[in-house]
Parts: sequence; C-alpha cells; structure tokens
Amino acid sequence: MGALSILIFLPLFAAFLILALPTSLKGSYKYIALTFTVFQLALSIYMYQQFDPTLSGINTIEGYQFVEQLPWIRLDLGRIGKLEIDYFVGIDGVSLPLIVLSTLVMLMSIGASWHVEKSTKGYFALLMILNMAVMGIFAALDFFLFYVFYEVMLLPLYFLIGIWGGARREYAAMKFFIYTLLGSVLMLLVIVGLYFSVVNPASGAHTFNMILMMNPGNYVDGSFFGFIGNYHEVFGVPSRLIGFIVLFFAFAIKVPIVPLHTWLPDAHVEAPTPVSIILAGILLKIGGYGIIRVCYSIFPDIAADTNWWLALIGVISILYGALNALAQKDLKRMIAYSSVSHMGFVLLGIASLTAEGVSGAMFQMISHGFLSAALFFLVGVLYDRVHDRYIYNFRGLATIMPTYTVYVAIAFFASLGLPGFSAFIGEAFVIIGAFNAESMLTGVPRWMAVGGSIGILLSAAYFLWTLQRMFFGQTRLQGGEKWRVALTDLDTREKIVLLPALALALLLGIVPSLIFHHLNASILQLLNTIKPYL
Amino acid sequence: MLELLNISPITASLLVVLLPFVAFLIQAAFGRRSISGNIGLIAIILSTILSAICVFFVVWNGENATQRITWFTIGTKSFSVGILLNKLTVSMQLLVCIIALPVHFYSRAYMKGDDGLHRYWMYLSLFCFAMLGLTVSINLLQLYIFWELVGFASYLLIGFWFTRDAAVQANKKAFLINRIGDLGFLIGIALVYAQVGTLDLVELFGKSGWFLNDTTANITLQEINKDSAWLTFAGLAFFLGAMAKSAQFPLHVWLPDAMEGPTSVSSLIHAATMVAAGVFLLCTVFPLFNETVLLVIAIVGTITAFSAAIFALGQYDIKKILAFSTISQLGFMMVGVGIGAWDTAMLHLATHAFFKCLLFLCAGAVIHEMSHFKTHARLDFDPQDLRNMGGLRHYMPKTFVCMVIGALALSGFPLTSGYLSKDSIVVSAFEWASLHGNFYLAIPVTLIVVSLMTAFYIGRLIFKTFFGSFSFKQHTSTAHSLHEAPGMMIWPMLFLAACSLFPIFGLQPLTYQQTWLIQGFQVVLSYPVIHTAHLFIPVGLTIGAILAWVLGWQWYVKQKYPLHANNRWVRFSNRQGYLNEVNDVLFVKGTQRLSAALYAFDRYVVDGATKLVTWTMQQVAVVAYWFDKNIVDGIVNFSANTTYYIGHLARHVQNGQLQGYLGFALTVVILGILYLIIK
Amino acid sequence: MITITHFLVVSAVIFCIGLYAVLAKRNAIMILVGIELMINASILNFVAFSRYDKVNYGGQVFALFAIVLAAAAVAVGLAIILNVYKYYKTINPANINELKD
Repeated sequence: MGALSILIFLPLFAAFLILALPTSLKGSYKYIALTFTVFQLALSIYMYQQFDPTLSGINTIEGYQFVEQLPWIRLDLGRIGKLEIDYFVGIDGVSLPLIVLSTLVMLMSIGASWHVEKSTKGYFALLMILNMAVMGIFAALDFFLFYVFYEVMLLPLYFLIGIWGGARREYAAMKFFIYTLLGSVLMLLVIVGLYFSVVNPASGAHTFNMILMMNPGNYVDGSFFGFIGNYHEVFGVPSRLIGFIVLFFAFAIKVPIVPLHTWLPDAHVEAPTPVSIILAGILLKIGGYGIIRVCYSIFPDIAADTNWWLALIGVISILYGALNALAQKDLKRMIAYSSVSHMGFVLLGIASLTAEGVSGAMFQMISHGFLSAALFFLVGVLYDRVHDRYIYNFRGLATIMPTYTVYVAIAFFASLGLPGFSAFIGEAFVIIGAFNAESMLTGVPRWMAVGGSIGILLSAAYFLWTLQRMFFGQTRLQGGEKWRVALTDLDTREKIVLLPALALALLLGIVPSLIFHHLNASILQLLNTIKPYL
Repeated sequence: MLELLNISPITASLLVVLLPFVAFLIQAAFGRRSISGNIGLIAIILSTILSAICVFFVVWNGENATQRITWFTIGTKSFSVGILLNKLTVSMQLLVCIIALPVHFYSRAYMKGDDGLHRYWMYLSLFCFAMLGLTVSINLLQLYIFWELVGFASYLLIGFWFTRDAAVQANKKAFLINRIGDLGFLIGIALVYAQVGTLDLVELFGKSGWFLNDTTANITLQEINKDSAWLTFAGLAFFLGAMAKSAQFPLHVWLPDAMEGPTSVSSLIHAATMVAAGVFLLCTVFPLFNETVLLVIAIVGTITAFSAAIFALGQYDIKKILAFSTISQLGFMMVGVGIGAWDTAMLHLATHAFFKCLLFLCAGAVIHEMSHFKTHARLDFDPQDLRNMGGLRHYMPKTFVCMVIGALALSGFPLTSGYLSKDSIVVSAFEWASLHGNFYLAIPVTLIVVSLMTAFYIGRLIFKTFFGSFSFKQHTSTAHSLHEAPGMMIWPMLFLAACSLFPIFGLQPLTYQQTWLIQGFQVVLSYPVIHTAHLFIPVGLTIGAILAWVLGWQWYVKQKYPLHANNRWVRFSNRQGYLNEVNDVLFVKGTQRLSAALYAFDRYVVDGATKLVTWTMQQVAVVAYWFDKNIVDGIVNFSANTTYYIGHLARHVQNGQLQGYLGFALTVVILGILYLIIK
Repeated sequence: MITITHFLVVSAVIFCIGLYAVLAKRNAIMILVGIELMINASILNFVAFSRYDKVNYGGQVFALFAIVLAAAAVAVGLAIILNVYKYYKTINPANINELKD
C-alpha cells in the first residue's frame, strides 16, 4: 500500500475508530480526528517534498507519481466484453497542490469544529468520510473510481449541512444535494459512453482508465465518442461536443458558474462554519480540477473550440458575483458571492489556454482555497459570539476587537488582490494570460480580460466598504452593552487556526514558485495536448 | 565611511529598500511598547546616507547597474525581480529618502501623544519601503507590486484616525480610485507582455532607461510600429495608472479628501512622493508612448493644472488649498511628459517635492499651534480654516519665513527652485507648441494663466494666514497664546526651505538648462529652441506673479474684497466643481443600483428559475401521482373489484339452508335436462 | 284399459308432491314425509315396469328392497331429527344454517 492510498484511506480508518468507540469517550473524537488530519497533512507535505516537478502527468502514465494500479472489478459480460475497473490512483502537478491544500483546509475545519456539541460521533465520522472522498477525487485516475468518490463526497455533506446547519438547513442541504446530483448523474451517462468508446490496447477490453481515454488512438473507430470519423449526433449536436458540455455542466455546478450558482449562497449561509470552510476551500476546487483533468484532457478538441464561451462564462461570473456581493447585507452571504466572483477567474484562466492563464487559474484555486476558508472562519468567530452576521448591526469593531480587525483586514486585503498575497499572483496572471490569449491565437478576445480586471476593482469596493462599515468609525452595536461584553477578541485556538492560512497566503504571494515550480510541466503538457486542435 | 563606500551600489540600494521594511517588522513586533519612532528614524537615516553616498554618487557619475534573480517560471517564461540603477531611478530613490527624513523628524513632534503612535511609525516605515522599492524595480510586475503597496500604505495612513468617519470614507475612496488606475497599469503590463513577451525594463528599454539612444534595447520593441493600435492602448492604460496615482483630472477627487490623514503624512505621501510615482512611471515607460498618447497626456495635464487651480481659489481649508495646488503642479509635470520633455517633468517633480513638502509642514505647524490654542482657550473652531487665522506672523515668525519661501518657490519666483522647474516646463511647452501650430498654443497659454492663478491662490493663503489680525485675538492671553512650533518641527522646515532655493539644483539661478538633473538625463528634444521664449516667458511670469500678489494684498489684507462669499463662481470653486456630487450620483449610486438590481435578478430570476424548476417538478409529480392513483392503480383495483363482486353474487348459493341446497341441486338438474332437451 | 302411462302419471304426481314437501315445508318431519312420498313414487314405477320382466320379477324384488331401505332411512332420519331438535330446539330447517361452512 503506497503513500497515496494511505493518504486516502487514513480518514476512513479514523471514521471507523470514532464509530467504534463508546459514547462515553466522546471527548476523544475531536482529538482522533485532529491526530489523523495532522498525520495526513504531514504525509501530503512529504509527498510534496518527494514530488519530481520535471514529470508532466496529464495524459502520460509515466508522468504520474505515487501511482498504484490494482484490478478492482473484473467481470466477464460475455458478448458485451469484459468489465475492467481498476483501483488506479496517482498524482501529477495539477492534483498535488490541491491535495496539500485539502489536507490543510481539513485541518482548519477540524480546528473550527472544536466546540461542536451536537452528536459529535456522527459529526466527526462524517467529516472523516468526506475527507476520504475528497482525497480520492483528487487522486483517482480511473473514471469509475472517480465517480464513486464523487458520489461518496455528497452524502456526508448532505448530512453535515442538514443536521448541524442553521435555520433553513434542510432546504439548503436538499438544494445542494439535488444540484450536485443532477450534474453527477449526467456525468455517469458520459462515463458509460466513454467506456464503450475506448479500448485498452493491452487487454483489448473496454476500460474506465482516464489516461487511456485521453489518447485518441484508443478510441474505437465509429464509436459514440470516437475521435475520427465520428458522425454521431444528439439533437443535431455532435456527440463529442455533447459529452464535453455534459461533463462541463457537472463540474460547472461545483465551481460554480453563473447561473448555476444559486445553491452556493444558501448552502454557505446555512452550513456550520467548518462545513463552510470545506465547501469554499475544497469543494469548489473540485469543479476547476474536474474541468482540467476531465473536460480538457479527454476532450481537447472540443476544449479548443469552446474556450470562447467558457471565458465568457468566467467573465460573467466574475462581474456578476462581485456586483451581487456588493449588494449583500449578510456578511457570510457576501463572502459566498465573492467566491463566485473569484472562481470566475479560475474559469477565465483555464479558458485562456495560455500557460500564464492556466497556471494563474490553478494558483487562484489554491489561494482562494485557504483565503476563503480563513474568511468563513472569521465570520464564524463573529457569529459564535453574538449570533448575528448582519453588516449594518456592527460598527467600529476595531476599537473593541483590535486583533480580530487586524486578521480581518489582512484576509480582506489578501482576497482583494493586494500584491504580496497569493490572490494577487493568481488574479494578475489570469488577466495577463487572458490578454496573452489573443497573441497565442487561442480565441479569447482582450475585452474579456478587461472585463475580468474590472472584477478586481469591484472586489476592492465590497471588501473596503465592509471594512469601513463594520470595523471603523465610532463603536455602535445593535445589541448594545450585551454585545460589547460578548464580543471578546480572538482566543488562542482561533489564532492558531487562522495563522497558517494567512501565513501561507503571504508566503505564496512572495514565493509563488512553491506552486508554479511543481505545476509547470503538467500545464505545458496540458497545453501541448490541446494545441493541435487550436 | 570608507568601508561603506566599498559596498556595491546594488547591495546598498537593496539595503536602502530593506531597512525601512525591517523597521516596519520590528515596529510591528513591538507594537504598543515602542512609540518613540526611533527604529523608523534610524532606518531612514541609514537609508538616506546609503542612498546618497553609495548609490547616487556612484551611479550618477558612473555606470548603470542591474541585478536580478529569477522569481518564478510560468510555462517557458521566467519572471525575475531585481534592482535597476540608472540616473532616473537613483535620483528618484534619493529624493524619496531626503523628503522622508525631515518628515520623520517632524512627525516626532507633530504626532506626539497620539493614541495610535506605534501604528503611525509602522505604517510610515511600510510606506517608505514600498516607495523606495518602487523607484528601483527592474520589472514592470515588480513595479506594479510596489505601486499597489504604496497605495495600501497610503490607505492605512489616510485612515490613521479610523474612528473618524470622514477619514475612513476618504481612505476607501483613495484606494478605490487608485484601484482604477491600478487596473490601467495591469492592463498595460498585460498588453506589453502579450505583445513583446517580457516585462523586464532593461530588456524593454535598455539599461539607461530610454532606448532611443541605447542600442542594447530589445530589438522587437524597436521594430514595433509606433502607431500600432495596441501601443496606443498600452500607453493609455499606463497613463490611466499614472492618472489615478498622480491625481489627474477627473481621477483627482481622492487627493483633497485624503487630507483627512495627519498633516505629516500628507506632506510626505500626498505632496512629495506617492503622487509623483505616476509621473515617475510615465518617465520610466516613456519610450512606449506614441504621438497620440503624448498628446492625450499633455491635454489631460493641462486640464488638471487649470481645473485644480480654479478649485484652489475657492477653498478655505488650508490643507485643501495645498492639495489642489499639488494636483495643479502634477498637471504641469504631466504636460512636461506629454510634450516629450520628461526631464523637465522630473526636475519639477524634484523641486516640487521639496517646496510642497515644506508648505505642508508649515501648514501642519500652523494647524498644530491653532489646535493647541483651541484646546487651551477652550474654544470651538476649525483649526484648519483660513477664516479663523490671520496675523499669525507675529506669533510664528520662523514658520512664516519658511512658508513664504515655499510660496515663492511654488509661484516660480526667481532664485527659487520652482522658478527653474516651472519655467522649464512652460518654455518647453511653448517651443513644442510653436512647432506644431495654432491649436497647440492653447496649452502653453493655459499654463501661463495657471501660473498666475497659482501665485494668486498661494498669495491668498499667505495673506489670510499671516497678515491682518488674528480672529481670536480677544481670547489670547499670557496663559494661552499662540507661539512658535517646537524645534523638532522647525528644523525640518528650515532644511526644506534651504532645499527650495536654487543652489541645490544648479549654480546658475536663472537658466534651467544648467541644472544638473536636466544635464544628467540628456533628453533629445524634437523641437528647436526659441531663445526669445527663454527670456520673455520667465520675465512675464514673474511680473504677472507680482501683480497677482498686489491684487491679493489689496483684496485680503486691505479688506477690499470685491466678491460676495456666496458668489456662484466662488461656490463652484469651493465645491470643487461639484465633481464629488456627480461621481456620487453617477458612479457610486449607479454601481449600488446595478448591484442591487443584479441581486434582485439573482434572487428572483436565477434563483427563481431554480425554484420554478422545483415547483414544476412538484406539479409534474402531483400529476404523475394522480395518474398513478387513478389510472394505473385504477385498472388494478377495477379488476380486483370485479372479481370480488362476482364472488359476492355467487356466495348467496351457499347459504347453509338444506332446502336451499336441494333447490339449487334441483335447478341445476332441471337446467341440465333443459339443456339436453334443447340440444 | 289401464296402461303404464297411468301408473307413470300417478307416480309423477306423487313424486312432485314429495318434492314440493321437501323444498317448501318448514318442518323436518314433513320433509321426511316428502322423502317417503318420493321413494314411494319410485317404488310405484318399479312395480309398474316389472310387468316387462316376467321371468325374474326384478322390479318387484327391487321394490321390496327399496321399501326395506326406506324404512331404515326413515328410522335414521327420525333419529337425526330428534337429535337436531335436542340441539337446536327447533326442527325448522330455515333456522339451521350450520351447513354453510
């Protein structure tokens, strides 16, 4: 069993342990979860250390590292052929940073759940199962395995929101679940279609192997998703385009793009703080990851044709999310909409099909991962104390909570793209990449880059407005003296949770090569895959 | 000192940049325990010494130097950070140091006793770091990073008194408007990168910073058609960045509001250094500009100079007059860039930095003493309002002298540094306009008018502040009277006053061509020298300025003021041409409405669509349930019911009655017989 | 002359009377009487038809046999009726529907 499998299944073991322990030991659950997550983080850092950045991955099996491939399901179906499903995991430059990010965000989320009282056994067990599923998604290279992890991820989230959430939790949980399920069920259709179109040259059987799906030579001539001589059409649309659109739709719900984003503000507002952290920090990234790993790698020809539309969607998401954030009066909802805006940059960067743009998008994902986690945690701090998040109910918090204000200010300025913090690198290179797209003839016009850059301005507007409205000026609180007593400054635990995220934002802003170095080979490989179709 | 001289200029320059940063970190670590400001002060003293001895003199008289390290690689392109030392950058770096130094001293007295003093020193060091880093950046991306950091430090300093609503409104406004400029800068960077493939200043423009006379410059850039559309766009984008930072019309609205910060901050950031960064940027990327962009720059600069001078005429707040005067002078510098004589712009930048910083420090001293007097005499008035002052020269003679020197320099009086630099721009503009023709002459003419207005409004400030009689004279007594500012504030002012005179820039007091800055930059101008202009324009300007002062003396000291205070023009000028109101209605309210509308759209249309789908699904489900219940299940029930009914009918046969059974048996037999018979 | 038809008509009339008694009477004794009438109608037929079997007089022998059988059946029937009366306190067959299941 290799390091990657240990990383994936460690939390599952923790979940079993938590379930096995009697309720009388319920004080120990959080420590178990913490220990395993810390170990996981250490393991992921070890993998980061051992990673060879010269190997590219994407569509070459030799380019993947920590690869494990075991036959999982082998079924002789007679005339239809042999069912060939592997337990096949491995990482390349695209998945490695996301795995490290996920372990860190998971740790933050455990730190944020320290004071959960309601049925801790179920809570931590579900959290650990979610942890396993997330790691699995980022590592899986077999489409069937990917799908299994993708679905396993949904279930714990549904319960975590639906049981431990806020006032309208059932509504939010249901909305989230059905939205995501809609995407993933459609994805299943394409998976099956791909299965019947691709043949493993070694065994001659149909396969779910994603790497094999990326090679045009493995497609059966005349098959539904075949590369060459494919005249299949669905409602007059070429079948490969349909396949791409359906997969994109599935991942776009996760990203989320406008107009498929409406589950996000509801889920974020109703979810408990730790789940908000995971939602914003990890789950949104699965969308971006899926687009790179699945949509772009398996359908490079369509990716080259449709990137104009994807970039347009990205720009719309950026501006639309930012303007919506500007209109919010609930702090958490504002941050949720800002996530829509920031993830729009990811889409714009990926669609630009330039090295700068795609790297910038990956960087933006990582940066947004822990910055949004920090932001949601900071909202949780306020909510824990007075159970209110309405922006107009607070004023002049800087006087009574100076440390908190400093953390909020750092997180806000980091998010609005102040140089020296990671978000700046991400956003700046997405914009630069989008501008470069016209020179590289990838079909993304420059006005879209300009549109995206206006999003940077708007993000400054809503963050600064909030900062001015809530934190500066004379102290005036809705709840009067009671709130003033309740609003104590950050305690040590909260500082410990926040510090790594903000420190990383600063570190990555100053030394972006920590990510770019590991990313570069994979991004170039991806672009080389797509380039022939441009 | 000898050992210090052995440091390479690159290392020294790096130290110059990093020392304030280290001071910032130490100050941040100490927090409230360290409020003396010694750390920041020591750092800036060392920086100044290093910058002067080890960097400036070495590079100005010798070779340009560069040093860079690879920062990160994306795709096949590497981005580096590093230090570029040429005449332009080292002079700018030295200038920032020399201005920052007296301001640090001054702040010790001016900010004494403030509650957030530790934050003040922290922010000030951060600002110095960012500004010094900006001056020597080798890479446009690096320049952009420091550019934004400067804006961030300015945000912190403007909002230093964060409990004041006006201050936090002002810093938000400043940051957002600067963000507009940053977008322009970023777009410019992206365009250059997309077209040329590098952001390195040396690769772009050559070591000395202007590739026109440097053969090592990037070949691709030299081959580029100067009239191509992207170059125009890139030039305009960079100019947009400079417009916001250097407060050019109509993006100047943040600067008057930024006066909410401490006066010492205004003197350093919003008069001398940060606002000049825009001009510095334009000088750095000057080779990128083509004729169209240069013309736009010149026109915007002229409009700025003119409009700001008008607004300055109607202000009552002493700091706001100086703020508008700064904007107006920045307009002059922009014209200097726009006409291609960017060396004159740099000269004016340097001279302006000294005398405008001086004017702000003097204004700060006045405000300082006025508010002391206010506290002691228990009065309630605005210590910054000109109408509350008057006759202060009796109480604060040293401040008075310093401020008069600053005012003379600002109006371009002979023997001051301002004379050299302002005339250089006006004269160059005239020469440039004569070459191009009639329409272009509007620019030098406007500049001359603005110069006269400048003399008038700064004269008004001096007269209203220091002449006449003090408004609250009846409240002064031996116990609480106005007195001279403390020595810690006077000395920096005297230093700057000395720097505002001509010797610091050249031994020749009347010809700007002889100043060492102009000689050092060696800009080749494309238009012929008109010798008569060099004579008549300065003389005309000086006479005009004297006339303006005479008029001001008549109006303000002799109390022969001809206009009513509520005159429409005075109000227009005082309200800054209603620009803020227009912005508020047009952009702020517009954006708010748009965002509110979009949120409504999001809630009712996008989310509504989701809900509609949900509702439709529910209705379909209801219909399907009805169908299932009534049709599908109906068929099943019908067949079951039929069977049951038949059974129900037949069960009467078995009634348990003996005779019944016999009867039925008989019936059946009879039926059987009948059947046999009929058959 | 008296032909076989006359016998058969008399016999049919007796049989119908018996049948009527069996189906319609609300008294078990009367039903028994009805049964006797039906048996006697059939005996009458036996005797009437024995005229065609002059060798063995099979019809008359069978009639004697049936008379004996009828006597036995009446004895058993009366015993049942007595028992039914003892059990139900009635001999009206309409009140006795235990045969239903």
